[in-house]
Amino acid sequence: MLKLLLAPFRNTTGIARWILITGLVITAMFVIFAIFAPWIAPYGFAQKIDASGDRFPKMGEPSAAHWFGTNDQFYDILSRVIWGARTELTVVLLSVLLAVVIGVPLGLLSGFLGGWVDRALVFVMDALYAFPSLLLAIVFAFLLQARLGGAGILAAALSLTAIYIPQYFRVVRSTTVSAREETYVEAARAIGAKPRTIMGKYLFGNVIQSVPVIGTLNAADAISTLAALGFVGLGIQPTEAAEWGYDLSRALDDAAAGIWWTTLFPGLAIVLLVTGLTLIGEGLNETVNPALRKRRIRKVVLTRGSVTEPERPGTDQNEVVTP
Amino acid sequence: MNRRRGLLAVASAGVLVASLAACGSGGDGDGNDGSSSGGSSWTLGTTETVTAMDPAGSYDFGSWNLQYNIFEQLMVVPAGESDPQPDAAESCTYDDPQQITCKLREGLKFSNGHDLTSSDVKFSFERNIAIADPNGSSVLLGSITDSTNPDKPKLADGAIETPDDTTVIFHLNKPDTTFMKVLTSATSSIVDEEVFPADKLLGDSDVVGSGPYKLSQYKAGEQAVLEKNDKYAGEREGKTDRLFIQYFSDPAPLKQAIDSGQVDIAWRTLSPTDLNDLEGNDNVNVLKGKGSEFRYWVWQLGTPVGKQKAVRQAAAYLIDREAIAKNAYDDTVKPAFSIVPPGFAGQKDSFQEKYGDTPDVDKAKQVLQQAGVTMPVAIKLGYTPSHYGPNAVDEATELKGQLENGGVFKVSVDDAEWERYQTLYKQNAYDLFILGWYPDFLDADNYLSPFLRDGGFYGNNYSNPQVNKLLDQELAETDAAKREEIIGQLQDITAEDVPLIPSWNGQNVAVATKNMEGVEETLDPTYIFRFWMISKK
Amino acid sequence: MSSQGSVPRYVAQRLLLVIPMIWVLLTVVFVLLRVAPGDPISASLGGKLSAEALADAKHRAGLDRPLIVQYFDYIKDVATLNFGNTFTDNRPIIDVVRDNGGATLSLTVGAFLIALLVGIPLGLLAGRRRDTVSDVVIRIFGVVSYAAPIFWTGLLMVILVAPTGWPTYDIASAETKFLVEPRTHILIVDTVLAGNTDAFLDVLQHHVLPCVALGLLLSGVFIRLVRVNLLQSLKGDYVEAARARGVPEKYVIRRHAFRNALVPVITVVGLQVALTLGGAVLTEKTFNWPGLGNQLVKYIVAHDYSAVQGLVTFFAIVVVVVSVLVDIVNALIDPRVRY
Repeated sequence: MLKLLLAPFRNTTGIARWILITGLVITAMFVIFAIFAPWIAPYGFAQKIDASGDRFPKMGEPSAAHWFGTNDQFYDILSRVIWGARTELTVVLLSVLLAVVIGVPLGLLSGFLGGWVDRALVFVMDALYAFPSLLLAIVFAFLLQARLGGAGILAAALSLTAIYIPQYFRVVRSTTVSAREETYVEAARAIGAKPRTIMGKYLFGNVIQSVPVIGTLNAADAISTLAALGFVGLGIQPTEAAEWGYDLSRALDDAAAGIWWTTLFPGLAIVLLVTGLTLIGEGLNETVNPALRKRRIRKVVLTRGSVTEPERPGTDQNEVVTP
Repeated sequence: MNRRRGLLAVASAGVLVASLAACGSGGDGDGNDGSSSGGSSWTLGTTETVTAMDPAGSYDFGSWNLQYNIFEQLMVVPAGESDPQPDAAESCTYDDPQQITCKLREGLKFSNGHDLTSSDVKFSFERNIAIADPNGSSVLLGSITDSTNPDKPKLADGAIETPDDTTVIFHLNKPDTTFMKVLTSATSSIVDEEVFPADKLLGDSDVVGSGPYKLSQYKAGEQAVLEKNDKYAGEREGKTDRLFIQYFSDPAPLKQAIDSGQVDIAWRTLSPTDLNDLEGNDNVNVLKGKGSEFRYWVWQLGTPVGKQKAVRQAAAYLIDREAIAKNAYDDTVKPAFSIVPPGFAGQKDSFQEKYGDTPDVDKAKQVLQQAGVTMPVAIKLGYTPSHYGPNAVDEATELKGQLENGGVFKVSVDDAEWERYQTLYKQNAYDLFILGWYPDFLDADNYLSPFLRDGGFYGNNYSNPQVNKLLDQELAETDAAKREEIIGQLQDITAEDVPLIPSWNGQNVAVATKNMEGVEETLDPTYIFRFWMISKK
Repeated sequence: MSSQGSVPRYVAQRLLLVIPMIWVLLTVVFVLLRVAPGDPISASLGGKLSAEALADAKHRAGLDRPLIVQYFDYIKDVATLNFGNTFTDNRPIIDVVRDNGGATLSLTVGAFLIALLVGIPLGLLAGRRRDTVSDVVIRIFGVVSYAAPIFWTGLLMVILVAPTGWPTYDIASAETKFLVEPRTHILIVDTVLAGNTDAFLDVLQHHVLPCVALGLLLSGVFIRLVRVNLLQSLKGDYVEAARARGVPEKYVIRRHAFRNALVPVITVVGLQVALTLGGAVLTEKTFNWPGLGNQLVKYIVAHDYSAVQGLVTFFAIVVVVVSVLVDIVNALIDPRVRY
C-alpha cells in the first residue's frame, strides 16, 4: 500500500516531481485546514461577537485580533478562509466521489458490453459532455435550489456531480474498449472467466488508473465552478457554511470602495487550492501514466489538454483508443 | 498533406496578426465620449429592469418610470407632495365616493400627432383590463372591472362614460377613495387607440404616448433613449433634448460607472458599502429622499408559537430597529415603528407608543411570564436570500441575536429561494418571516388593506372582524380628518395584535455628478423618477 | 461507428447525428426544467397576486396541462425554430439571441485571439525549453491564469483601469449604440459597415478589458495544449528522421515540430467553444456586457423558467452544431480521425 502511494514520487524526476510535491504541499495545507478548522480558526465561520460579548468591527482592517480583517457581515475573514476549506473540500469530495461511483461502473459496463446499450449511453453522455459545464452546473443548481429548499452543500455537490459523470464515463469506457482486446483479457475469456470476473478483476484494475488524474483535475475545476455558482447567486448561504465564492461575490462591491482585504483573501484561497490540485493532476499525469513518456502518448495528452474542459468526447477519444 | 498543413499554419499566423489589430490596438483612440447630441444630454444608470413599455404589461419600477415620462395620466403626484394634481386632465373630482368626473385639457396630442380624446382614455382602461397580462397591473383597477368570468375580465359595463371628447366619468362598483390615486399611477397611462392593439401588448420599441418625452430607441436590458416630445404642452416640459438610460445587471459595475463619471446619475440600487464610499467622492453627490419601501417581519399565526399573542408581543419588545438599520444596512434605511410609512395622512408610530423605542428584555419576559409561556421560546425564522437583496441574511442574523437576548427566544434560521419561499411561508414553515412591500400608489390604505384583511397577501392567518370593518369604513370615507382617525385606530390595533412587526422603511437614494440639477427634488416616496425635472449644466 | 469510411460518408454520418443529439439535449432540458417544482408565474408574480389570480394566470399560460402535452409542444416549437418568449419581459427568445448574441460572439472571438496570441508562443517556448525555469514559470502562469476566478481578476482590472477613464463596462458608449444602425447585430461589424471611425474605436476600446480577462483564462488551456503537442511531435518519426539526416536542431524544431504542434491546436479551437461559453457568462456579468450569458444569469435570478429553457435550448443547439462542424473539419484535415 505504502509502495503504491509512493510510486508517483519514485517514478518522477526533476521538474515533474517538484510540480507534484508543490501541489501536494499546497493541497495538504488546505486539507489540514479543513479537518482541523475548529482548532485552527480563531473564530466560528458565522461568529460576529467575541468571547467577551463585544461585536467584531464591520469591515475592520487586518489587525492583531483579526489577521485578515473582517467583512461587511462582521465575520472574521481568516476564520472564513479556514472554515471555507472544509466546505470546498466537502463539496468537491462529495461531487467527485459521486461522479466516480456512477461514472466508472457505467463506463465499464458500456465499454464491455458494447452494442445497443453502449451506443445509447455514449450518445447521452456525449450530449451532456458537449454542453458547457458551467452552464450545466448553473442550470442544475438553479433547479436543485427549488427542489432542496435552500442553496446548500448537497445541492452544490449534486450540481457538480452532474457535470463530471460524463467525463469518467468517457475515459473509462474508452480504456475498457481498448483493454478488452488486450491479450490478458482475451486469455481470461479463453479460460472461461465470467464477464463479471473479467470486468471486476482484469478491466477495473486497468481502467481505474486514469481516475486519480481526472479526479484531481475535476476537483480543481469543481472549486472554480463552486466559486462561480456563488458569484451568480446560486451558492451556499453564509449561515450554513463558509464558502469562498459567496464571500468573494459579497466582497466585490467593497473592492471597488477600496477595501481590499475582503476580496483578496478568499480570492487567493481559491487560486491557491485550484493551483495545488491542478499541479497534483499534472504531476500524476506524468507518473501514473508512464505511457506519457513513450510513444502512444495520445490518450494521456488529451486528458491533460483537457484539464479544464478535457478532451472533447467522441472522435478524438476513440481515435486514441482504437488500435 | 504537408501542403495543407502549411496552409493552415499560414492561416493561423494571419489570425494572430488580426488579433493584434482587434484587441491590442485602440489605445490612442480619443474619439470616444464625444457628445454628438449637444451638451445637455445625460445618462442615468440603473439596475432596475423593464418588463414592458406597454402600460398594460407591467407592474414594476423600471417599466413604470419610463411610462411616467412617455405617457400622461389623468392625474399626477407632483414631487414631494401627496395630493394628486391634474395632468392630462384639467380637473378630476369626486362627485360622490363612487363617481369621479374628469375634464381633459384642450388640444392634447400624442407624440405622433394624433389627437388625444376621452375615447383614448376609455380605450386605455378597457384594454388594460381585458388583456389582464400576468405581468400587468390591471388588478389595481378592480373598482371598474367586471370579473364575473375570471378567465375574461373586462371593463364593467358603463363604468366609464365619455359624454364628449374632453369628459370622462368613472362609475366605481364600490366606494373607493383611493381610486383618485390609482389614476395617477402608470397603469392608468393614456395610450393611442390608433396604435395600440385592443387585445394584446404593443412591442416595446413601438410605444407612443403624450408625455414630456418620447422613446426613440430601446434595447432590452441595455439602454433606452428618450427624446423631448415637442408636441407636449403641459406643465411637465422636459429640460433635455436627449437622455440615455443604461441598464446594469449588477451594482458593482454601476458603482464603477458613477464613480468614474461614465454615467451622470445612478439610481437604484447601490449597496450600502458603495453608497458610503461614494459619499467620499468629491465629484458626486449622494442624494437621499423619503422612501416608501417597507420591510416587515411577519408572524405566521397558523403555527403553535405564532398564534400566541404574548409571544408575538415579546418579539415586538425585543426588536432593535436601530441596530438592524446600522449593522445590516449601514444606516441607509430608517427604522419603522408603524406599518404605514411616515409622511402619510393618518400615520402614527403605534409600535413606539406601545413598546418603546429601545428594546426591553424585561418587558418581554414579563409578557411571556404573565401568559405562562416557558422560555426560551423556540421559533423558526425564515428569509429569502436574493429577492430582497443580499443584506436580507444580515438582517435575519441580526434579529436572531436580538431575540435571543436574555434567553427569551431560541431562534433557528432557515432560507429558501423566493419562489419556494412564497409557498413555504404560507404553509406555516416559519414562525416569523421577512417580507417587503412597495406601494402601488401613495395612500395609507395601500399599506393596510393588502395585509390586514384576513391575512391578505401574507397569508399569515390573521383575522380580526373589527379590523375588516374599519378598513371598509376608511375606504368609503371622503372626509379626510375622519379617515385619518380610522387609519390611526387600525395602526393601534396592529401594534396590539402584532400580526407583523415593521422593521424599516427605505430611502429613495440617487447618486448624481455635481453638474446635475433637479435630481434631489424628484426623490420622494412615489419613487417616480421625473426625467422632466432634471438637467445637466 | 466503426470501420473506415470515405470523407463524404463520414460527413453524412455526423450530420445525421445532429438531430438525435439535439433531441437528447432538448429532452434533458425539458425534464430538468419541468420536473422541478415551481413555475414561472409564481416565481415572478407570487408577491403581488392572490392565489386565485395566480391560478388563472397559470391556466392562461397553459402551465396546467399534462406534462407530455407540454413536451410535444416544446419539441414542435423548437423544430420550427420557435424558442418561446421570456416570461418576465415578454421578449421572444429569438430576439434575445439576435440582440445579444452579437456581443457574445465578438467577446469570445476577441478572447480567443488573445488566448492564441498569448498561449501559442508561450506554449511553444515552454515545450522547447522543457524542464527549464522558463518552462516552469510558463506552466505555472498557465495554471494560475486558469485558477483565478475571472470575476476576481476582472474586477482587479476594472479597479486599476477605471481611474484612467478607459471604458470598463458595456460594449459601447450610449451614443454609439444609439447612432449605429444595427445591420448584422454585431456592433463592431456594424460600426465598420456604417463607416463610423469614432464609433468603431469606441467599441474596440470597450472590448479590450473583457477580451483580455477571458483571453487570459483561455490562454492557460492553449499553453498546456501547445506545449504537450510540441513535446509529442518532437518525438515523431519525421522529427527523428530529420535529426538522423543531420538537420540542425533549431531547424528541426522550427520546420517540423512547430508546425505539427500547431495543427491540432487549430482544430482544438473549435472544441473550446463550450469552455468559452461558460467563461463568457462570468465575464459578461463582471463587465455588464450585453451578451447572452448575462441575459441567462439575469433570467435565472428572476426565476424565469421559460427564458432559461429557451436560452439553454439555443445553447444546446449551438454546441451540438459546432461540435459536429468541428468533427467534420477535423476529418477533412486529418484522415486518421475517421474511424
